[in-house]
Amino acid sequence: MITVSNLSYAYQKGNPVLIDIHLNIDQRSTAIIGQNGAGKTTFVKLLKGLLKPFEGEVFIQNQQVKNRTAAELAKIIGLVFQNPNDQIFKNKVLDEVMFGPLNMGIDKQQATENAMEALEMVGLHDKLDMNPHDLSLSEKKLLCIASVVAMDTNIIILDEPTIAQDYQGKETIKKVIKTLKEKNKLVMTIIHDMDFVAENFERTIVFNEGKVILDGDTRFVFAQKDILKSAHVEAPEITKLGEKLGYRKTFLTIEEFIDYKNQERNL
Amino acid sequence: MRSISLYTERNTVIHAMDPISKLFYILFALLIPIILPSIKVSIVCVVLGLIFLLVARVFKKTIPVFSFVFLILLTVIIIQGLFRPGNQTTLFHFGPFTLYKEGLMFAFGVAFRVINIVSAFMILILTTKPSDLVESLVRKGLSSKIGYVIISVFQIIPEMMSSMETITDAQRSRGMETEGNLQTRMKAFLPLLGPVILGSLANTKERAMALEVRGFNSKGPKTYLLEEKKYRYSKVVQWGILLGIACALAWRILV
Ligand SMILES: Nc1ncnc2c1ncn2[C@@H]1O[C@H](COP(=O)(O)OP(=O)(O)O)[C@@H](O)[C@H]1O
Ligand SMILES: [Mg+2]
Repeated sequence: MITVSNLSYAYQKGNPVLIDIHLNIDQRSTAIIGQNGAGKTTFVKLLKGLLKPFEGEVFIQNQQVKNRTAAELAKIIGLVFQNPNDQIFKNKVLDEVMFGPLNMGIDKQQATENAMEALEMVGLHDKLDMNPHDLSLSEKKLLCIASVVAMDTNIIILDEPTIAQDYQGKETIKKVIKTLKEKNKLVMTIIHDMDFVAENFERTIVFNEGKVILDGDTRFVFAQKDILKSAHVEAPEITKLGEKLGYRKTFLTIEEFIDYKNQERNL
Repeated sequence: MRSISLYTERNTVIHAMDPISKLFYILFALLIPIILPSIKVSIVCVVLGLIFLLVARVFKKTIPVFSFVFLILLTVIIIQGLFRPGNQTTLFHFGPFTLYKEGLMFAFGVAFRVINIVSAFMILILTTKPSDLVESLVRKGLSSKIGYVIISVFQIIPEMMSSMETITDAQRSRGMETEGNLQTRMKAFLPLLGPVILGSLANTKERAMALEVRGFNSKGPKTYLLEEKKYRYSKVVQWGILLGIACALAWRILV
């Protein structure tokens, strides 16, 4: 769905933020992990056409990003910003969510329907008339997610969706991701919560100092202890537990671990 | 962060000089041609100013400003040379026009004074950080509140520009066309004004609170975060300039 070749980027000359990235992103839900400052946000802004590559090419569904405006690309790729305050600019929750669909040329009634559905999904349907700036940080983040979900794009990227979320908020986001996957959308996320990655994403890409140093099925990636260490990333808790206990299998979720133990006992 | 100040970082004698001495120099450049109206004095002052700009290695930065100033001065020279009342001595004709000596000399006098003052201000602006200037004024007794207002002006414009960019990104990432011809850009620009202005007002409120919790209004004597930028010869320079002005006055009165 997305092909990235030879991609480099720098905000200031002589200070590269991304160096020679090659990636082929397919239908699998994908997590991008790595230390702060590794270049993850910059990378997704390049996919979205908000930044123009220094060098290299990005193709999204066979369209060359370079030749499209960000507004045109918005019809196929949605991005939830890392900082909700950078994304929100309307005075009413409902207007904020309807902004995208209306811009895409969807008629008003359909746009309202999309918006309501998205707001219901994140549990903000009873705050339609509130000023977004009066919401809490976690609600703002959910509002931003709804604004992008309502646009019904084929590709959705979430930049650190779980920041400021409590258990309930994380469950809501999980549900959203699951629904999107069921609708056959490509969901990508930048995230620091490894347990969340292990539970929800099939593929994981590790960024470190502007380079991709690891890429593959999530289970494979979390088994590469040494490379993860060099990127200052830790595997999920349950993965580490399994490994400390000396199991050869790489566990990704608690359920998996329990099932495995039960089977072991029954043998 | 971006900045609207014209300051350029260099390592020269002029940069090392304290802002107050540079203010003294502006005073000097303003007063001397008034006290001694001879055009020769003005020329000396202009040459002095240009030398300082060259020493500070910021001459290139002055070119856009000087080009603008020259454009204006050229019209002054033409108009005065042709039409100044009291024009008598013909210099030369071209077509139906006659250029006169009196008008021309007067216009040159004006031109040199303007260039002189502009270069004195450029020396200050191009070689001094706005915050350094304000800080030294506050040390000299300017109210720190006024000082803060001055510095804010230098900060708020770049801040508004960057929040404009942020909102534009938010808009185009959700399908609003912001690139392209003038009409599309205007259509995208107008709805920006509300959020940008409201946003910076909201920031003001937050900043006021942040300042208050850090004792901005406290009555006690304030200390400074940065050490005072001391220039060894500032007293010499300042007294020298005052002495120069006094000499000029004496010359004017006595001779
Ligand atoms: N607008 C910008 N201007 C200049 N440098 C930036 C800008 N945004 C990010 N950077 C720098 O680029 C690097 C990568 O940032 P980013 O892509 O945000 O990393 P991540 O999302 O992985 O934490 C960082 O060193 C950051 O300081
Ligand atoms: Mg980031």
